[in-house]
Amino acid sequence: MREDMLASILSDLNGSSADIEASAVISTDGLIMASLLPANLDEDRVGAMSAAMLSLGDRTASELTRGSLEMVLIKGSQGYVVMTHAGEEAVVSVQAKSTAKLGLVFLDIKRAAEAISKVI
Amino acid sequence: MDDREYEQLLQYAKQFSGVTEDMENTLQGLYERVKPHMAEVTDSFYTVLLDIPKAEPFLIDRLDALKETHNRWMESVFSGPFELDYVKAMYRVGDVHVKAELPVEFMAGSMALITTRLHQLLGTIFKDEPEKLIESVSAVNSILGFTLMVMQQSYESSRLAEELEKFLKITGMSRTLFDNLASAYKE
Repeated sequence: MREDMLASILSDLNGSSADIEASAVISTDGLIMASLLPANLDEDRVGAMSAAMLSLGDRTASELTRGSLEMVLIKGSQGYVVMTHAGEEAVVSVQAKSTAKLGLVFLDIKRAAEAISKVI
Repeated sequence: MDDREYEQLLQYAKQFSGVTEDMENTLQGLYERVKPHMAEVTDSFYTVLLDIPKAEPFLIDRLDALKETHNRWMESVFSGPFELDYVKAMYRVGDVHVKAELPVEFMAGSMALITTRLHQLLGTIFKDEPEKLIESVSAVNSILGFTLMVMQQSYESSRLAEELEKFLKITGMSRTLFDNLASAYKE
């Protein structure tokens, strides 16, 4: 039931913008709760790596006196990875195209994260 | 480490250091002749250590206790058996060294000193029996090499565990997250 609701939120998120290529909801321990990922990506790796990056982002924001973490953004030549908390126990990880309009993507991710935190 | 891992370490270290049943018998046969000199070997070993500036701070306040432990270990070297209990005990010794933050070279250096002292002692005991001397020296070399291997294994594991703890503390990652990450990249 909860998994279906999370999958539905991810489906809405991926459908909200053509810029978003993949997304996943992950526990803070790095385990996948729900995902819409391309077949060439390993769920376990995406989950563990995203949670690890967010954890490191938390610590970096704190150490460098940037306040509480809002998101971690990674820009690669092929596109973006955006990670943010969804409540205290989950992480949302989103992959977007290199041409993505980041403002809109951030807004969509924020809405999805709020919805996910309510479900969890 | 569980018993299976200790057993693997036991067999690996025995194979590498060349410990055989004959050698174990040789060492046990030496016990009565070496025992009267053990305290002397221990004293001589710690006298050299105390002259090493880097080692002295680790010894100064607990010399008597260390000598007592060292004598007990020497007894075990000449009595065996060199099975799981011995491996577990030596593994714990490595752990204790790590917790005391002793530099890693202390173990190999100390073993070299003890080996020299024991060779000198065996040379005296078997001064007229060259074959027995060779047999005894070989057995001592093998068992001390075996012991060092086990202690260094423990040292390595403990060091890695300490480094991992530091890494987790710095990054804020939980142990479970780290395990999941490692598991995701397991070949």
